Amino acid sequence: MARNETMGKKWVGAGLALAGMLAASLAFAQNTEVLSVAFQGPGGHSNGNYGRASSVHAAARAIANMAATMDPASYVVSDFGGGNSVNSIASDAHFKVRLKGNAAAGREAVEAAVRSGIEAENDFRGVKAGDLTGNVPATIRYTIKP
Amino acid sequence: METAMMKTWVRILTVAAATMALAACGGGGPADTPPASADAPPAAKNVPVISPEVSAAAEAIHNDARIRKVVDEWQTAADAQYRYDTHLELARIAGPSRYESRRAAAIQARMLGEWGFDAADIMTRADGTLPGAGLQKVDGLPVYNVCARIKGSYADTPDAKSYKGQYPKVLVEGHIDSVNPSMLPPADQPFEPVKLQSMADAVVSSPEELAALLEELHFDAKGRVIHDAVYERAHRRFDDADAAQKGNALRHYVPGYNDDMGNTMTVLQIARMMKKYDIQPVYDVWICGTAGEEGKGNLAGMKQLYGYNQDTGKGNNALNFVADFGVDGSPKGGTINFVGSYRFQIKYQAPAELLRTGGVGPSPVDAAAMAVAKIAEIKTPWDDDKDQPKTTYTVGTMACEPANAKGVTPSCTMLVDMRSPLLESLNAIRARIEPLFKAGMEQENARFQAAADSPQAVTLKLEWFGDRPPHTNTNPSDVAIQAAWQAAQVTGVDKQDELSSGSGSLNNNVPAAMGVPTIDLGMFTTAASGGVHTFYEWGVPGNAELESKRMSRVMVATLIAAGFHTSDGKVIAPAAEPIGARTTEDQY
Repeated sequence: MARNETMGKKWVGAGLALAGMLAASLAFAQNTEVLSVAFQGPGGHSNGNYGRASSVHAAARAIANMAATMDPASYVVSDFGGGNSVNSIASDAHFKVRLKGNAAAGREAVEAAVRSGIEAENDFRGVKAGDLTGNVPATIRYTIKP
Repeated sequence: METAMMKTWVRILTVAAATMALAACGGGGPADTPPASADAPPAAKNVPVISPEVSAAAEAIHNDARIRKVVDEWQTAADAQYRYDTHLELARIAGPSRYESRRAAAIQARMLGEWGFDAADIMTRADGTLPGAGLQKVDGLPVYNVCARIKGSYADTPDAKSYKGQYPKVLVEGHIDSVNPSMLPPADQPFEPVKLQSMADAVVSSPEELAALLEELHFDAKGRVIHDAVYERAHRRFDDADAAQKGNALRHYVPGYNDDMGNTMTVLQIARMMKKYDIQPVYDVWICGTAGEEGKGNLAGMKQLYGYNQDTGKGNNALNFVADFGVDGSPKGGTINFVGSYRFQIKYQAPAELLRTGGVGPSPVDAAAMAVAKIAEIKTPWDDDKDQPKTTYTVGTMACEPANAKGVTPSCTMLVDMRSPLLESLNAIRARIEPLFKAGMEQENARFQAAADSPQAVTLKLEWFGDRPPHTNTNPSDVAIQAAWQAAQVTGVDKQDELSSGSGSLNNNVPAAMGVPTIDLGMFTTAASGGVHTFYEWGVPGNAELESKRMSRVMVATLIAAGFHTSDGKVIAPAAEPIGARTTEDQY
C-alpha cells in the first residue's frame, strides 16, 4: 500500500476514535435520562379529612426545592399531575425530570429535593412513618424510576 | 362596597379588590317568623320555639280532607309503582351538571302532558331562561332549571304586598344534575342503562364489571319502563338491607339513583298531587328540578332562582321567595347549617417565546409548584384550635399538558378548594391563598429575570371560580325550621329531639346566605344504597309507606309556610312574611 494510504488509515482510525469520544461526550451532555417520580398518600375528603398530608402538596414542594438547589440548565420538569377531584385531598402525584447534565449528580439532587419536600409535608401535617389514618399509611411516600 | 360586575367566565385574576368586596358582604337577613308568644318558655338552643299559629296550621293542614286524599293515594300500591317507574325513567336520562336540559325537558313534558299543568304555570323556558329571575346565566352558561307553579290566592287579595311586583312564593326543590356521567352523551344515546344485580353478589368494582351485568330494566320508545318479567322481580320494595338480602332484592345501578333523582322524583310528586287534588296555597308554591348542584355546577340553578351574583357575593331575590325547602337527602331532622367554599381553577401558561424556541426559561410547571408549595404552608385557625370554625383548603388536582416538540410544557392547571362554615373565615382563607397563585408565578419569572406579562414570562389565568356561600343558622325558630319541625310532629315521621348541628354543602347555601329561611330534608326511601358520586351508584327500592309519609311531611311544611285554603272554606294564613330576604337591591 502506498505510504499515503497507510497514513490515511491511521488518521481515519484516529478520527474515528476522536469522533467516538466526541459522540460519547455529546451524549453525556445531552443525557436524555428521564426520571419518573411518583408520590403516594392517604387521600381523603378535602373537608372531612382535612389535616392529612397531600401528595400534590408534597410534589410541589419537591419541584420548588429542585428550582432552589439545581441549575435550571441541567434539568426540565414535565408531566406534573395528581389528585382526584377539587374536593378531595390528593392521594397521588407524579412528575418527570429530564436530566441534561451529569446523570448521577442530577439524580442525587432530584432525590434530595423529593425527600426534603416529602419530609416538609409530613412534618407540617404532623405525621411520621408508621402512622395510620383511616387504616392506611398517613405519610407521603415516593418512588423514583428507573 | 361592591365591585363592578365582572362579566365573563374566563377572566384574568384580580386579587385584592374582589376579596375585599366579598369581605364586606354579610349573610343573614331579617328574621321572618311569627313571633313566639310573650310567655313561651325560653327556647333550648337546639329546639325551635313553635308559634301557636304554626302549631294550629300544621294540625289543620294535616287533617284536611283534600290533604288526606293526597296521602291516601300516595299510600296505594299503584302510586308506589308509579313513583318507582317515574324515578328510573328520569334517572336514566344522563344529566351532567350544566347539561341538564334533557332531564328538564322530560320533566316539563310530564308536567304539561300528564300532571295537568298549563303552559302558563311552567315558569322556566327550554333555553334555560327564567322570566323574572334575578339573573339568567351563571358561569356564562344557560341554567336548565324546570319549575312548575301552584298558583296561590294572595296576589288577588287587597293590600297584597309584593317586591318590585313579585308576589311572595315558597320554593320546594330537588336537583336534577348528577355527578356521573360527567360528559353529556350524544343525542341519539341519551340514556344510561339501569343495571340490575343480585344482592348476593359483591358490588361491582369497575365500569367494565358494571357493563358486563346481564340484567337490566327495559324501556320502550317513549322512555317508559316495560313491565316485563325482570321488572316484576326488580320493582319490589324492602324495609332495610337485611330484608333486601333475604328477599333476593335487586340492586339498581344508575348514576343519580340516590343523589338526587330519587328525592327529586318525590318533589315532583308533590307538584303532581297538589295539582290533581286542587291543593290551594295562599302564596304561590314553586316546585323545581334545579340545575347545577354538584361540583362544577356551582349551585347555578339556585343562583338563577335567587339572583345571587358570585362576583359580589350578594343576591337580590328578585322573584321574592320567602321560604325554601330543599330535598337532597338530609337525614330526618334536616340540615340547617351550610358549609361554604370557594374553588379556583388556575392555569399557568408558558412564555409564548419559549414555546416557539425551546431552551431554558420560566416554566408553568415550576410556577404552579412554587404557588402550591407556598399554599401548602398555610395553617388555618382550626389547625391550631379545634374550637375555631373548621376552615380547610387543599390543592385537589394538578394537570400539566405534555411538553411540546421543543420540550416546553405549554400549561399547567390546578383546582384549589377552600371551605368554612362562616363567611368571615372563608374570606380570610381566600385572602391568604389567592395572592399565592400570582406569587408562585412571580417567583418563577424572577428566577429568569423575565418581566411580568412579557413574551418571556409565565402568565396565569383564572379559568373558573366556584362560590358556595356559607351560613351557620342563627335563628333556630325561623319559619322553614318551625314548619319542617311541626310537620314532622303531626305526620309522625322523621321527628327529632333536637335540631341537627351538622352542616352540608347544598343548594340551600344560596338562600341561607341571603337570609331566606331554608332547610334541607329527605323524602326518598331505599332499603340499601351506595356509591354516591361514583359510576356504581346504586339502590334497592325502599318502604313505600314511609316515603309517602315523608312526602306528606314536606307538603305540610310547605303549606304551613305558604298558607292554605282548607276544604271547609277557611284560610290558614302563611307563616312566612310576604317580603323575602335579600342582600342587595341591585338588579342584574
